[in-house]
Amino acid sequence: MNREAVTKEKICTAPKSKTGMPIMHCPGCHYGIIIRVICEVIDEMGIEGDVVGLTSVSCSGPWAYSFYFDSALCPHGRSPAMGTAIKRIHPDAIVFTVQGDGDLGAIGLGCFMNALLRAEKLTTILLNNGTYGMTGGQMSPTTLLGMRTTTTSEGRDYRVTGFPLHAAELVASMKGVAYSARCTVHTPANFQKAKRAVRTAFQKQIDGVGYSFVEFLSACPPIWGVSPVEALKFISEKMMAEYPLGEFKNVDSIL
Amino acid sequence: MVKGEISINEALCKGCGLCVYHCSRGCITLSAEKLSPSGMPLASFINAEKCTACCVCAWLCPDFAIEVYKYTDVS
Ligand code: SF4
Ligand code: SF4
Repeated sequence: MNREAVTKEKICTAPKSKTGMPIMHCPGCHYGIIIRVICEVIDEMGIEGDVVGLTSVSCSGPWAYSFYFDSALCPHGRSPAMGTAIKRIHPDAIVFTVQGDGDLGAIGLGCFMNALLRAEKLTTILLNNGTYGMTGGQMSPTTLLGMRTTTTSEGRDYRVTGFPLHAAELVASMKGVAYSARCTVHTPANFQKAKRAVRTAFQKQIDGVGYSFVEFLSACPPIWGVSPVEALKFISEKMMAEYPLGEFKNVDSIL
Repeated sequence: MVKGEISINEALCKGCGLCVYHCSRGCITLSAEKLSPSGMPLASFINAEKCTACCVCAWLCPDFAIEVYKYTDVS
């Protein structure tokens, strides 16, 4: 077959709401795929003019450079507070925060819980890779029991450092929450499910129902000490055993 | 029947191998001989006859390095 003679159509490329900035993450890190999920949903919903993305102090901080829409990098753990201010001044804006497990579950937990209690009309995307990747792999609130990190060299022991934080289940138990789900991007089917979850979360905010939340289990191959392909197995065998996938709350009215 | 092809942006690819793993048709390989400007092994498109233009490799490439083309007129 003469390949030069065929007419072809480009059917998949980078989403329009992603800038041309190269992704700054390690080889095999799932954060780039999650950027694609968010940007594709924003393109498909046609909301790039209304959306505001708030990134946090974590490896996801530089995402503000990748977003081709309004965005800001927030002080550590404070993106729900900044989001609250933006949303109250511009009630028609669609505001979402992107937070790592350390940013949301440790330093920013109080700020996040209070935003949930106030039933702010925000969307939060949690990136759960079970470790502080940015600072070299310390234990984070979502580190699995028995998992080795630089601060739990014998593996995490609940008698010393407690149990992992189940954010999606915790969020689902809060009255002000409209939607809570946990997903992954480690297979094509889960990638599509994750897009549906993010779309539903944005829709709950647009409809003014309440807080919406999507947690991603995300691979961090260098800190986990595995190859990018082995990290997929770690997600399906270890992470998903502790953190089941699915929707934990999906309501049309919080009252 | 040939359905499409992909192009890999060699300046963006970091050689993670996820596209190689996810392509069920075996269309992509990591070659040790070909390195990116930053010294990473590069993914390259082989087995072009088998590509179905399913886009899975492009969705799951963390570095936006893959573009997928579908053949519209194969005469
Ligand atoms: S998934 Fe992307 S970055 Fe990884 S090897 Fe394939 S083209 Fe390169
Ligand atoms: S489009 Fe599908 S068949 Fe073609 S190389 Fe990518 S994953 Fe393989």
